[in-house]
Amino acid sequence: MALIRVPKPPKSAYDPDRPMSSLLKSQIEHLRDAEGKLPLRYRSEWYIKTIRTEGEAAKYIRDVTEAIHAAHEDAERARRTPKRKRVIEIAAVADERVERASTRRPRKKRDATKRKKSGGAKRPKKK
Amino acid sequence: MPAGLDKLQHIVVLMMENRSFDHMLGSLKAVNPKIDGIVDADTFNNPDAANNPVKPQPKAEFQAQLQPDPDHHFPAVDLQIYGGDKSANRQPNMQGFVKSYFNQRRDAAHSQMIMYYFPKEKLPVLTTLALEFAVFNRWFASIPGPTICNRAFAHYGTSFGRVDLNPIYPPETIKSIYSRLIGASPKRTAKVYYYDTTSSTMEVANLLQNQPELFGTYSQFLKDCDKGNLPSYSFVEPNYSDHETDSGEEVANDQHPDHNMQAGEAFIASIYQAIKNNPDLWETTALLITYDEHGGIFDHVPPPDCPKDQFTADGNATGTGVPFHFDRLGVRVPSILVSPWIPKGSVVDRVFDHASIPATITKFFLGDWAPRSPRETSADIFIEPQGAAVDPARNLLSLDVMRTDCPDFDV
Repeated sequence: MALIRVPKPPKSAYDPDRPMSSLLKSQIEHLRDAEGKLPLRYRSEWYIKTIRTEGEAAKYIRDVTEAIHAAHEDAERARRTPKRKRVIEIAAVADERVERASTRRPRKKRDATKRKKSGGAKRPKKK
Repeated sequence: MPAGLDKLQHIVVLMMENRSFDHMLGSLKAVNPKIDGIVDADTFNNPDAANNPVKPQPKAEFQAQLQPDPDHHFPAVDLQIYGGDKSANRQPNMQGFVKSYFNQRRDAAHSQMIMYYFPKEKLPVLTTLALEFAVFNRWFASIPGPTICNRAFAHYGTSFGRVDLNPIYPPETIKSIYSRLIGASPKRTAKVYYYDTTSSTMEVANLLQNQPELFGTYSQFLKDCDKGNLPSYSFVEPNYSDHETDSGEEVANDQHPDHNMQAGEAFIASIYQAIKNNPDLWETTALLITYDEHGGIFDHVPPPDCPKDQFTADGNATGTGVPFHFDRLGVRVPSILVSPWIPKGSVVDRVFDHASIPATITKFFLGDWAPRSPRETSADIFIEPQGAAVDPARNLLSLDVMRTDCPDFDV
């Protein structure tokens, strides 16, 4: 079967200043609702009643959608990080510090040629 | 078991916005008389404000015609379906489309545009797919109302009593089709692909808020198709707004009035082509293209009754003063099932609505599942479950050998 040509929309089709539809308005209200359930640090500073156009709506929608994803990713990361047994660890660190203070010796200089010989790869610089 | 069903591993649903069957595919009756499209003007027309008949005309334009956005909230759709009849024993007559549009601008000439449809040549993608694969003559919106509650039927098999655009917070009892799949044993995969974060999803209140891991973007969909990583079930959303991104201007492609129709055509073609370009995926995937509701635009087929849902919208919620028991479907929408295992020119006359989506996906991937809404359990399925006893009369993926004559689009 022959390749079917699909005409592209003209450039004039793009109009971010078009007044937003009732659908976009409801999407914004849903996102506002969802945003209200996020921790404070993820919430946007938008006052949604000032949003009039599709372009403005899109900016708000992006901010909140990205915030929702960020909040969930952070929460997931926090869940995966094993919780420390704080009291015991603090006590252990304190003991270790006392020990280090009593046994501290001057550091030896590292031999650069030795490193080369062992073929150790350079670490990438931290940005 | 038929080879097409045996090989089927992925189902993709693309849901566009706000266009009726007659408006988009009505012209195809002239090509294939089995398609229930535009009938002659004496058989179907609509009265205008002065009671003069207005006939359907092939004058629909890509943009700048349906301004303002035709009303498709519950009371307006009630007028469109019943023509203003409020009696107890009324029957749908599809006589109120022009009246309803006239109410918005009080302009008789302008109100006639609600009866315009696209000639076949103007929509080369959708009409080609309809003629090449299976087109549904009786796929209706789930509710005679707007977007959010209709889309909810595609995700949950119910709108939990809503007939409007307000947020839907589903009770724990009825799970979304995605939760069912990813929570199943053996686990299935599912994803909602929205266009980009700037367009986002219409399924905000529950799924995005509580399960953002279910979501991907359109560009990820293209990559997943290319790499063969498509989940068992994918639901694709179009771009709902004209907006700027880091890579340039994006034109809305959802086909919601008054967005550009050609952008939507290109989007549909790109979804189809992404699947087709991966031969392994093409062989093992079925794509359903549908529209959430009719957007206030005319159609000539009266929506049928259906079994009641377990929820009721009261008279205040419907805006008509009369409660709605979810016992009637919304206006007919274009729906097409694509697979190389479907015979060319298939036309399906059975009744479907968006509750058929979770009903089909559940039956195909999980078998039985409870609890589900009464509307979902009574909805017909469009893909038969895999198994020895497949009813050949119902199976649309019926070819013994995969087709090699399927169309390609230059996207």
